Amino acid sequence: MTSGKIIISLGFVIAAVLIQTTAFEYIRPFDLAPALGMLAMIAVARYLDAEQAILVAFTGGFLQDLLGGAPLGLWAITFTIVAFVTVKVRAREVSGPPAVLIGVFGLTVMGQLTYVILGTLFGQGFINRPGVAWHVLVPAVYNVILAYPVFWLTKVTVRPQERSRIG
Amino acid sequence: MFPSGRRLDRATALFISLLAVGFLIATFDVRSSEASATTVLRTGALTLVAPAQGAIDYVVRPVVGFVDGISNIAGLRDQNERLAAEVSRLEDQLRETSALERRVAELEAINDLAPPEDLAAVTARIYSAGPSTFDQVRFINKGSSDGIVVGQAVIDENGLVGRIDLATGSSARVRLITDPLVSVGVRIQDTNQTGFVTGRGDELLRLDMFDASEPVLEGAVAVTDGSRFPPGIVVGFVTETKAAEVDFTLRTTVDPATAFAELDFVKVIVGWSPLDADPETGNRLIDPPSFTDPGSNRQ
Repeated sequence: MTSGKIIISLGFVIAAVLIQTTAFEYIRPFDLAPALGMLAMIAVARYLDAEQAILVAFTGGFLQDLLGGAPLGLWAITFTIVAFVTVKVRAREVSGPPAVLIGVFGLTVMGQLTYVILGTLFGQGFINRPGVAWHVLVPAVYNVILAYPVFWLTKVTVRPQERSRIG
Repeated sequence: MFPSGRRLDRATALFISLLAVGFLIATFDVRSSEASATTVLRTGALTLVAPAQGAIDYVVRPVVGFVDGISNIAGLRDQNERLAAEVSRLEDQLRETSALERRVAELEAINDLAPPEDLAAVTARIYSAGPSTFDQVRFINKGSSDGIVVGQAVIDENGLVGRIDLATGSSARVRLITDPLVSVGVRIQDTNQTGFVTGRGDELLRLDMFDASEPVLEGAVAVTDGSRFPPGIVVGFVTETKAAEVDFTLRTTVDPATAFAELDFVKVIVGWSPLDADPETGNRLIDPPSFTDPGSNRQ
């Protein structure tokens, strides 16, 4: 069932990226959208082995790169780093809704910051853009708001695969 | 992360390897030309996901419209009254404008300056945005099979939107003029002096003029100068009066004519190429090829 879990997780992240590029073209409070692809990736990384999580993150990030306007690989690197940290944090047995929400906020901010730094290194000048702090912080707040439904969806789709593997 | 005396675990090794791969891909993409393997990858991905994005867009758009409609219903009555008054005012204005239009058309004929409206164009609908708030791109549902190629100008009813920077058979990517990587050569209508505007993300565009001899006034209209885009397309309006200082570039800001948050339908100008333009005046040197809009009947 390992491959099934990876495929479902990847499908989940890809669906999130596609929704990100379509639905959140219209739904943009304060002209900013959540980082739904990253949130989905954080959610599935909770249920995957470390290597699986890193592979799914890289692939999902690469797809997001393909649909974006910045150089390829930047989201792939960002998602991979966030997945790696998620796996490490998850092992610390931090639990409870407040801790999860703080975790989502922190991981999203870290991901957005990583992307800004990478984009700047690769000539996109993200760090010089006006309102860059908003671009980092506001999607993280939106991700906290969306965390509950996304985590619930992951729980009912990815987690059963985990159970069947254990069983 | 790496305690001394302990080998890297497999996950960490994979993590480091994928980071290295990511950096290699990014470096390759930055250094490669427009016709590279990464462009092929992007084009392929766009072709693959465009139907899925179209389907999601098809489902989401009416829902968002419905929610918007409900949220706006309270303001509709006031808006209706205001609009009725405005219609009456505009009818008066239209009568005056018709006369002025005839004069402008005569002047344009004299100067051989064809307005952008005369150029062959393909109407397209925006179905997707970039995946992050840093991406100043939009995706449209027309591509190379409709005559769209990289570099063509994209406009809406208000003015310049951006340019095509990636095209597949049935879709294309538009890089907006708000992207910091995009610069547009402009001419200030009042003074006829030239400069260029650069995108700054969600902020106002920046206007730079190197040898401006006259001040640029607030409200002045900046139009394309014909170097990379067809001449005469409205880019935006100067927001702050500035005069040039000796040996310094005149720098001010321009409010884009297009409301990028409300973009829906756009036109891609397929009947003009920078090679057709006179570098001095921006006027066309040769007539654009006749082109009928293949998408005009299927929206």
